[in-house]
Amino acid sequence: MSLGLMLNKLSEGMATSVLIFVLTLVFSLPLGLFVALMRMNRHKVLQNLMRIYISIMRGTPLMLQLLVVYFGPYYIFGIKLSPDYRFWAVIIAFVINYAAYFAEIYRGGIASVPSGQYEAAKVLGYSSSQTFLKIIFPQMVKRIIPPITNEVITLIKDTSLAFAVAVTEMFTVAKALASAEKTMTAYIFAGVFYYVFNLIVAFVMENIEKRLNYYRL
Amino acid sequence: MKKSLSLSVAIFLFATLVIGIVSVQADGIKTLVVGFDQDFPPYGYIGEDGNFTGYDLELAKAAADIMGLEIVYQPISWDSKDLELDSGTIDCIWNGFTINEREDKYTWTEAYKGAGQVFLVSADSDIKTFDDLKDKVVAVQADSAGLYAIQDEKNKELLDSFKELLVVPQYNEAFMDLEAGAIDAIILDIDVAKFQIKDKESEYRILDEFLQKEEYGVGFKLGNTELRDKVQEALNEMAKNGTFAKLSEKYFGYDSCIMAACLANEK
Repeated sequence: MSLGLMLNKLSEGMATSVLIFVLTLVFSLPLGLFVALMRMNRHKVLQNLMRIYISIMRGTPLMLQLLVVYFGPYYIFGIKLSPDYRFWAVIIAFVINYAAYFAEIYRGGIASVPSGQYEAAKVLGYSSSQTFLKIIFPQMVKRIIPPITNEVITLIKDTSLAFAVAVTEMFTVAKALASAEKTMTAYIFAGVFYYVFNLIVAFVMENIEKRLNYYRL
Repeated sequence: MKKSLSLSVAIFLFATLVIGIVSVQADGIKTLVVGFDQDFPPYGYIGEDGNFTGYDLELAKAAADIMGLEIVYQPISWDSKDLELDSGTIDCIWNGFTINEREDKYTWTEAYKGAGQVFLVSADSDIKTFDDLKDKVVAVQADSAGLYAIQDEKNKELLDSFKELLVVPQYNEAFMDLEAGAIDAIILDIDVAKFQIKDKESEYRILDEFLQKEEYGVGFKLGNTELRDKVQEALNEMAKNGTFAKLSEKYFGYDSCIMAACLANEK
């Protein structure tokens, strides 16, 4: 197999990995915020429900969650699975898993805003939703960028778990090429692909962090 | 501006999700979804041209053509093959799939190929017979026929003589380990071993003695005799029209078919 063809196959796998990455972030970042707010809600029932959800998501392996989300509908409810569900099962599993981690990061961020900020907002006549959106949320975002970057980079590498339900992302392609070609070349390229991707993500996140660095003394 | 952009992206993604689900249900073309391990040459792997190929995959394609079905190659995670088959996401497992020890777990076609489990060692290794495997590290793929063979009661003595039996997720890792000297031998299918040492005869050697002789068939979900019978019919026709002879010559250099219909041809 020519080198060009090998790179071509790996890029196809990379496209799947990137798609998993992007879709997971698009859905899990907002979902995480929603979970965090419910987790911090005064209602004990809601609070505990979210506590259990986060505990399960963080306490079981992502690979197991993938298998449950994909095969669960058939084994639990007897629903026949369609071939396209494979990919969406991966997205669903990744989104609910990462939302749990993001929720805890958001919660830490919200809790770190000094209570004086709430008091000042109240004095100025802000409603509670205005207080959150205009005062608390912007301050929280600035503080949580470093831990979010951590999770985002972990997510890139976690995409390789998608093959548990037979979605052929890049690492699966690399493995198959390595066994068909009997060489390590594909692994080396896979490593380079991941590293470059991470480099780009780290660069983007650093820029976001810098741009949010206003009002700092 | 920014907000409306991200909103439209979200709507677009949601729309593709909905369309994806709906279009699948509308899909009426009859297919034969073949589940296989794409890291398993020469039965199923990525060929020189970048497409899936292999002995079993070409057989499956020929059978699907006869049955008038569209073939779908679905690479699967080998550990999840039973989940995939039971839930109906694949129609059959066609992948150098050993019948022995699994007779009652699947609905099988007639065995179409004889094979066996052997030991692969480095060419310069001093291992020649089973006795030499004493205190050696031996690798085998998880959930494979080789693993079942070595765990069989009759091979207990041999297994106990090893220093360690290393169960690896993929054979490719075992080959890398063997090359690096981290392990001494690999238990694997004879034809996989032969494919592996092709062009590398100076590096690897196969022990003469078989750990186990076995037969390959196509596995269906237990009780799915309807599809099995159709595939069997197609296989019989392939035996008559020479597809088997041609393909096994191509991949193994000899006619490996052991079905009754193939053997009847020779007479």
